[in-house]
Amino acid sequence: MAFVSSGYNPDKPMENRISDIGPKKYDEFYPPVIAKNKGTWLYHEYIQPGVYYHVAESGDKVFTVRVGGARLMSTTHIREICEIGEKHCDGYVRFTTRNNIEFMVDSEDKIRPLIEDLESRKFAGGSFKFPVGGTGAGITNIVHTQGWIHCHTPATDASGPVKATMDVLFDDFKDHRLPAHLRVSLACCLNMCGAVHCSDIAILGYHRKPPLLDHEYLDKMCEIPLAIAACPTAAIKPSKVEFDGQKVNSVAVKESRCMFCGNCYTMCPSMPLADTEGDGIVIMAGGKVSNRISAPKFSKVVVAFIPNEAPRWPKTTETIKKMVEVYANDANKYERLGEWAERIGWERFFEKCELPFTHHLIDDFRDPAYFTWRQTTQFKF
Amino acid sequence: MPSVEFMGKTFNVDEDGFIDSYDNWCQEWVQWVKKEEGIDELNDEHQKVIDVLRDYYEKNGIAPMVRVLSKVTGFKLKHIYELFPSGPGKGACKMAGLPKPTGCV
Repeated sequence: MAFVSSGYNPDKPMENRISDIGPKKYDEFYPPVIAKNKGTWLYHEYIQPGVYYHVAESGDKVFTVRVGGARLMSTTHIREICEIGEKHCDGYVRFTTRNNIEFMVDSEDKIRPLIEDLESRKFAGGSFKFPVGGTGAGITNIVHTQGWIHCHTPATDASGPVKATMDVLFDDFKDHRLPAHLRVSLACCLNMCGAVHCSDIAILGYHRKPPLLDHEYLDKMCEIPLAIAACPTAAIKPSKVEFDGQKVNSVAVKESRCMFCGNCYTMCPSMPLADTEGDGIVIMAGGKVSNRISAPKFSKVVVAFIPNEAPRWPKTTETIKKMVEVYANDANKYERLGEWAERIGWERFFEKCELPFTHHLIDDFRDPAYFTWRQTTQFKF
Repeated sequence: MPSVEFMGKTFNVDEDGFIDSYDNWCQEWVQWVKKEEGIDELNDEHQKVIDVLRDYYEKNGIAPMVRVLSKVTGFKLKHIYELFPSGPGKGACKMAGLPKPTGCV
């Protein structure tokens, strides 16, 4: 396509430049019923999974229909969301913190047509465009990251495994059968963008091989002290290397100390470590952020490695499905996965979920590792 | 690797326009980046920032933190942005011939 100027003048980049205006103020986009009743809500109730209403002091009600979103979506899809918003909700719509989409209407008779419209829309391949659900004690959307779509440090894909996992857990997206809500997250490397460290079940991309060293370019591309300081186990040291008959500055990696975190590659483009066979997925479990009953928890590693199996990641989804089923059958009402595992003991968790316990799961990182070992005789055979 | 020819010199650059090696830096490169970054005129303050960056990089092997750059040059961050509209990383470091900033930028 030919170049079309927006009015920006590259010869005078600072001319007519607008900056530091921040985002639009949120209340510009309130539906009238929200604007009117802000701060005066009395209570809320679920009508069915994905559909609930809030009642205000004035007696006004607002009905919300939550639908799943793929997070990564085209403008065509956003236009379709807008079209539904125009048709049913006077042009208002919002996105949740787990990237679901919420349509709000102000009277009960508008809900059924809205839900019917949403559920009738499908992609050509057959998947729902706007499945209603994601509320209450079920499984809502998966917070995830870039994966092979856009990032340069991933050890697994994001959109692919998320689609595979949500397909397996789809019934729970549309149901409230679990003891408490169950949050699933994914991060494609252990930068852990998103919520993997604090989710009931977390999928995490993981490497198993040390970085390759591109000595020719390392000193030119990288600030060597940064690469050295990036290593949590101090496996990297500066070194002089013979390359093409010349002595060049580079680094040396002590492979027995490297645990393949990839931090050095983040800082230094000449230390790539992604590997088809080496890379895969770690499953973590038992994290939460809310303060309800028990304090927030970190999720813990429960499966040390599952290979990448694009495009459907069958072993990963099977493992997750198994954990969800055991938790659903065994936990008490209101008990989050981490609370359940801590109550029955992690040895029982592994037994019930039929997960192998390997030495990889025993913490060995610095002094705090000691506090994760069992310093009591209280355990179950 | 793409290359640019400017004032009789050839520079190898990456896709973001950073020079391939610190050692290939020269005054012509500064003029080239000045044109690329849309800086009208180079004054002593630009030169001071570049000198500080190159001096620090030679001594320490890394680009200085923004606070260090501010303290050594005496320019507040706001002023550094006035000198280099793209900022200390994309603007000043590029002009000084330092490697491209890395990490979660």
